[in-house]
Amino acid sequence: MYLYLPVALTSINILVPVGLGLAVGLLSGLFGVGGGFLMTPLLIMFGIPSTVAAATDSNQIVAASTSGTYAHWKVGNVDFKMGLYLLAGGFLGGIVGVQGIKLLHAMGNADFVIKMTYVLMLGIVGVYMFIESLQSMKKKKNTVVEEAKEEKESAMGRFLKSLPLQTRFEKSGITHSIFVPIVLGGFVGILAAIMGVGGGFLMVPIMVYMLRMPMHVVVGTSLFQILFTCIEVTFLQAYTNHSVDFILAVLLLLGSTVGAQVGAVFGRKLKADQLKILLAGIVLAVTVKIIFELTLTPSLLLSQAGGH
Amino acid sequence: MHIHLHSLIIHYARFIGSTRFLGTLLLMLVFSLFQLVAAKPASAMLTAKANHDHITIDFFYHGSSVSVRGESDPNVDLVIKITSPEGHQVLKQKGKVGGMLWMNVGQLKFENTPNFYEVFSTKKIDDILSREEMEKYTIGYTALQKHVEVTPVANEEEKTKWFSEFVRFKEDSKVYATSFGKIETTMNKDGRQDYYILTDWPYQAQPGDYLVSVYAVKNGKVVEQAETKVNVEQVGMVKTLATMAKNNAAFYGFLSIGVALGAGFGVSLVFRKGGGAH
Repeated sequence: MYLYLPVALTSINILVPVGLGLAVGLLSGLFGVGGGFLMTPLLIMFGIPSTVAAATDSNQIVAASTSGTYAHWKVGNVDFKMGLYLLAGGFLGGIVGVQGIKLLHAMGNADFVIKMTYVLMLGIVGVYMFIESLQSMKKKKNTVVEEAKEEKESAMGRFLKSLPLQTRFEKSGITHSIFVPIVLGGFVGILAAIMGVGGGFLMVPIMVYMLRMPMHVVVGTSLFQILFTCIEVTFLQAYTNHSVDFILAVLLLLGSTVGAQVGAVFGRKLKADQLKILLAGIVLAVTVKIIFELTLTPSLLLSQAGGH
Repeated sequence: MHIHLHSLIIHYARFIGSTRFLGTLLLMLVFSLFQLVAAKPASAMLTAKANHDHITIDFFYHGSSVSVRGESDPNVDLVIKITSPEGHQVLKQKGKVGGMLWMNVGQLKFENTPNFYEVFSTKKIDDILSREEMEKYTIGYTALQKHVEVTPVANEEEKTKWFSEFVRFKEDSKVYATSFGKIETTMNKDGRQDYYILTDWPYQAQPGDYLVSVYAVKNGKVVEQAETKVNVEQVGMVKTLATMAKNNAAFYGFLSIGVALGAGFGVSLVFRKGGGAH
């Protein structure tokens, strides 16, 4: 059955957005990512204008991350305190990132920088997570090597401990200076604004490897943080660009809210390393897809302006 | 004497009144005769009528079909052009960076371009119309290219390249098309030619007014022209939502967020109940 979308000004088979929502919602509940890096290009592929695709996806993520946050909170896997510090940093970073984009546009090579940042970030995150989780799966049997690694990293740990305003994050069982999540959140905020994505795929590894939070708390906390970012983005897109398609968002969230719940339940059955290696696999697949897009001659040399 | 004068004046007034009446009658007669002539086409009159001239877009709209029919002189070729009003369009332009990476390298502005452009003809337009006539009536992509302004392009060669990319982009979204041989023609009993075309109306065509121009062509020239209109309009909830998104953006934004939050919580509660049994 087809439905007409009043803002996208196109007609779509309802199975497409519901199915996409289900799949991306599942990933969201599993890994704590918004899934914009998958959903937006898929929507464009199905004929949705790029600006509407990005804006409507953030609307949909509000629903999926509410559903996912709730499911993770129920089993005690959301560190609200950490989430709020990251959010504060992300908000500041977003402001800097938007100015950065203006500067890039003024310099005239914005698209090149944006694309390269995207590919590099995805590639680095994917490769690092893949190798790390593969090694840690092997090392489970060899505890001696693991201890040696922990010692090596204590230099970085000592530096972080020396920062002022140390505070305890109970849920994650870690202690950090409040500047650590604010600065890291800010870093993700800048990159996310430049790349025009939510940044979940960056936030998750940062929480795992730099903040040293347990994987299952990472997923819940990331979703909590994404929820607020996407509420803000949805409102700005609706208010300034008129590009949120309500009907498309409803169709997507029909699938994604259910997908997020299933993902959260399924995720509890998987080990942290299994989750990390799966996410790494998806990030790497997207990287490869973008590299193909960049190198193969496109079928059309013109596209709708606006959006990215 | 006085009475006589009075009756004379009355008589005169009556006379004037009756001539006025007669004049009005005559005028009406001429007018209705004219109307009669206009309604019944003379032998050199081309007619055009779109059967489905008001297309409404509701939730279940997935495109439509439009048929155009009419009468023409026998032995003429026909060209039917359907266009939206002209405007300017800005599109992102892809190019190779560093000799190997494809990305957006800038924007191109296309002025005097319709968003929608379809041309149907009885025969290949190059075979039935001279170049001058095609340009005069903007019939066919070559004529449209001449009519359109593309910026920034360095020379005519570049304009041709990017205009053909523009046409490919538009054809891909089903809003540009040219074809020949789809118009059916038959001779009617009055010795005139009936023509008919049924064409798919793409759902990608945006709401608005569309002009259907029919040209009768003979010896490489347009000899007659007729016009009709097709209106595409959003109705009901589709219209309400589209209008709200534009005119009441803040409320629309809050509504979208509210529904998303509600759905997220709603589904969570359903799952909690469902999962509670385990």
